Amino acid sequence: MKNMKNTEESIPTSEEAPQWLLDLDKVGFVRKLFLARKWYGGDWWFVAISGVLLIFIIIVGIFPQWFAPYDPRAEVGPSLLEPGEPPASFKLITRAEQGDIEFRDIANRGNNVGFIIGSDASQAFREAVDLLNETAPEGVRYQPRQQRYENLSEGFDSLAAGEIDGFIASPDELGDTLADYPELQDVGTLREEGERGFILGTNQIGQDVFSRIIWGTRIALIVGLSSAIVSLLIGVPLGLISGFTGGPFDRILTLIMDSLYSFPGLILAISIAAVLGAGIGNIIVAIAVLYIPTYFRIVRGQTLSVKEELFVEAARSLGTPKLKILAKYILPNVIPSVVIIFSVNVGDAILTEAGLSFLGFGLPPDTPDWGIDLARGQDYVRRAWWLITYPGLMVTLVTLSFSMLGESLSEILNPRLTEQ
Amino acid sequence: MTEHKILMKICDLSVTYTTRLGQVSAVDKVSFDIYKGEILGLVGESGCGKSTMGKALMRMIQPPGQITGGQIIFNGEDIMTYNENQMRDFRGRKVSMIFQDPMTSLNPVQRVDEHIVEAIQVHEPKTKVDEALERAGTLVRKLGIQKRRMNSYPHQLSGGMRQRVMVGLGLVLNADLIVADEATTSLDVIVEAKLADQLRDIRDEFGVSLLVITHNIALVAELSDRVAVMYAGHLVEIGNVEPIFDNPLHPYTKGLLRSIPNIKLNENEDLYKMAGEPPNLTHPPSGCRFHPRCPNAMPICQKYEPELVEISSGRLVKCWLYLDHPEKEQDTIEVPA
Amino acid sequence: MKDNGHKNSENQNEYLVEIKDLRKWFPVPTTFIGQIFNQEREYVRAVDGVSFNIRRGEVLGLAGESGSGKTTIGRVSIGLEEKTEGEVHFDGIDLSKLPSEDLRKLRRRMQVIFQDPLASLNPRMSLGDAIRQGLEIHYPETADQHRDIVIEIMEKVGLTPARFYYNKFPHQISGGQRQRVVIARALVTNPDLVLADEPIAMADVSVRALLLDLMVKIKDELNLTYLFITHDLATAKYICDRIAILYLGKIVEMGDLREVYGHPLHPYTNALLAAVPVPDPHERRKEPMPKGEIPNPIHPPSGCRFHPRCPYAKDICSEEEPILRELRPGHVVACHFAEMFLDKKLS
Repeated sequence: MKNMKNTEESIPTSEEAPQWLLDLDKVGFVRKLFLARKWYGGDWWFVAISGVLLIFIIIVGIFPQWFAPYDPRAEVGPSLLEPGEPPASFKLITRAEQGDIEFRDIANRGNNVGFIIGSDASQAFREAVDLLNETAPEGVRYQPRQQRYENLSEGFDSLAAGEIDGFIASPDELGDTLADYPELQDVGTLREEGERGFILGTNQIGQDVFSRIIWGTRIALIVGLSSAIVSLLIGVPLGLISGFTGGPFDRILTLIMDSLYSFPGLILAISIAAVLGAGIGNIIVAIAVLYIPTYFRIVRGQTLSVKEELFVEAARSLGTPKLKILAKYILPNVIPSVVIIFSVNVGDAILTEAGLSFLGFGLPPDTPDWGIDLARGQDYVRRAWWLITYPGLMVTLVTLSFSMLGESLSEILNPRLTEQ
Repeated sequence: MTEHKILMKICDLSVTYTTRLGQVSAVDKVSFDIYKGEILGLVGESGCGKSTMGKALMRMIQPPGQITGGQIIFNGEDIMTYNENQMRDFRGRKVSMIFQDPMTSLNPVQRVDEHIVEAIQVHEPKTKVDEALERAGTLVRKLGIQKRRMNSYPHQLSGGMRQRVMVGLGLVLNADLIVADEATTSLDVIVEAKLADQLRDIRDEFGVSLLVITHNIALVAELSDRVAVMYAGHLVEIGNVEPIFDNPLHPYTKGLLRSIPNIKLNENEDLYKMAGEPPNLTHPPSGCRFHPRCPNAMPICQKYEPELVEISSGRLVKCWLYLDHPEKEQDTIEVPA
Repeated sequence: MKDNGHKNSENQNEYLVEIKDLRKWFPVPTTFIGQIFNQEREYVRAVDGVSFNIRRGEVLGLAGESGSGKTTIGRVSIGLEEKTEGEVHFDGIDLSKLPSEDLRKLRRRMQVIFQDPLASLNPRMSLGDAIRQGLEIHYPETADQHRDIVIEIMEKVGLTPARFYYNKFPHQISGGQRQRVVIARALVTNPDLVLADEPIAMADVSVRALLLDLMVKIKDELNLTYLFITHDLATAKYICDRIAILYLGKIVEMGDLREVYGHPLHPYTNALLAAVPVPDPHERRKEPMPKGEIPNPIHPPSGCRFHPRCPYAKDICSEEEPILRELRPGHVVACHFAEMFLDKKLS
């Protein structure tokens, strides 16, 4: 027996937990979050701001109907309307001899109504017809034919000659020309000048840009999140197993992943999308494949280093089976970096998706999607700058938010930062 | 007792670290002297501030820490007032430091002789290379490093050798004080013993003062002339080595000495187990920082911090047991001079 | 605690661990050039012919400086490392013949306390969870009792209030407390053998005595056997029953601790004991230390490995390797001239 005398019978204890440590535990999680502000300084603010932004973006993505004033695919206004510009008014011109008629009178099957090619009068016309049909009694249907003319004079000549029953034009288009045609009369406005315009304007088909980008959020988030999740679910386990087991399996897998990784991203995505064909599912797959190597490499690298840690050896000495070591010892220490990659990944996936649809891959043409809008707006850069500015802004904003979140999280999730 | 000349005088030195959890008072108004030609052992557990103290003496405290008060007077001058150039001269020529891990303090791509020559040339730029090499050679032989090792790189040397090179770097410039911060902690026992012998020899031959900072109290008993004990940023006791070991006054010193394993059979067969653990310095205890663990604690100990007072010749203690205070109810212990 | 039966049965061996002629050589990585010129493979001879037994219930110390092989011997003894040559038997079972799954299950009976408590605890696992692992792995059928057992053992090692510490993480407690967690984790499976690899080296000086005391108390209470690895001979005095002094992969002296410390028969043991500083300024060391340094374990000296540094070396020492001989009861030493130290007390 060793000569170790004790004054007490029991094994000596460590002191009671110090008061300040107990106090620190008393505060709830929410207070801890705020206390963290002091600790992490700038990073805390970054996380907070990007977090709030992202929550907002996600809500927009889940409930676009709350935010978008119009159906994104509907022609709700004249085309290429500037942001905030109210749509113009349109007047109906008829022959004086037709008397005091309304649009209704010349809106039947056999009637013809004319307007200038490319003019928004066509939209005013359609609206007026729709309105008539909505308020018409049973069985009555209004469906006048449309006639397009190169310019106003031709149209007026035709009207005067009786070939058409009415002509629609905006005051700007009309100008003073009416004075030259004494046989024609202005019977009133077909459509009033709008009181409000569209916040971000309309595109060339007359769709509301604002509503489109709101609905575009949903697609972006769906594609971005789904592809990131798929990448994660494939890349992380592969990285873990590869790093842990090593050997020829690891070698081969690393080779494959490195080759994939060295491919320029967009080109790889395009190739895959081209092979797989159109459809949102295929886009998700194409983008997912792009990011699997990233998860793989990081997770594998972390696994390799964590594997050598003393606590893993301690787990082995306890008799821990290999699977449990992976799951309980290696994975939890690898997860912080995975979370960071994930958030940056989502942002990047959205960007890639926009790129793919910009190039015409994957999504059906009229889908409200930022990439598609960017593509459609390319030709109108000078005439209608709002067509690409706002979708582009959205892509940038969302990508930045995810990246900001990821980068600032990396400082906070670092396990070396302790409370002591 | 012969009068010792004071080489360095530390007055009310304070060092504070700013951490996420608040201010850590790592060294709190510590005062003591280092005499010429003495070996002073500075002991304490981890977190007591001894290493911080060592770095502070050379003004090598980096942010988030800083020296927040006090003076360090060396040869009559307060080095706290030195500018950058003066400090560079001070470090190396007047005071030199040996660290725990010599591998990281030596340049891995410089050979031993290059190290020593560089040290000489940095501080005495007019020295020619051959002269510097010769000085290096003499020194190195004195330290017990074989001549052929002069051309080796640090990784080719053993731990003990590297430490000796570090000592050599300190000596080659005729430093007056060498601070050894846990210099032997990573060494094997026999190597440590040899290095300790060497340090003593250097002191005997060159008259260099040594500040040996360590948590190895037995080493301090082996090597030093005087001992200073630190606890939680305070200097609690200082005196000559024999009286301190024979008759420790501060309760912490007492407990510490009794809790140290002694290899000799039939000596200290029952280790004393000190209650509690060193305190967290963001929230240090009030009054005397040792009072929560002190078996002799009195009510006054929690209220007021005692001063470090010389209560017998050469012995200073910071404890209410030996000091008077109007609110103190218990008797003050008298210590014979 | 559960399952004490096998410890008290009669048909056990006297020895819990039997090591015979153990060798562990680590290959030195060859360079490409070396491979071209067909250089001979070199090995770090960490353990080079070591034999000893550990009796049930005793604390055997393995002491030595760096390169002595003490840590490697410990790891091979409990199967964490494979031997190169020799025999390793645990309770009569030859570890090298065990399939890996059986070895894994056998681990329940051989646990480890590591040197660095912070590094040996999973930073992402709560303390209670960490201690519980042994129960989850080896006693999964009693899952509902696990938490209570863990609480009980946490209180036993002094981590009170246990419910408070159960959910804490390693970085939230002090070093001394962490080591208690490591100890608790090792004990929870009711092992027979505990390998303690420098368990208190990283703890604060004032806490070491507490930890040592804890380990002794627990050993008695739970009928444990310790293999205690240390470089600190002073500490060993307080816990080890027997001690083996290692030098460059071989045992140079072994016996009852107070025997060896009181009557060292090997010049290296003597030097080692003298080198340890004594916390008493009146007892300063007067003996000189052996010259030179520990040689490279890739090319150990011929004959007696200590001969280049030994003040008493003669010709035979470089030619013939001495074997362990029993010179005093229970006290063996490997030195050609150990007899001359029999009568004089060197220390």
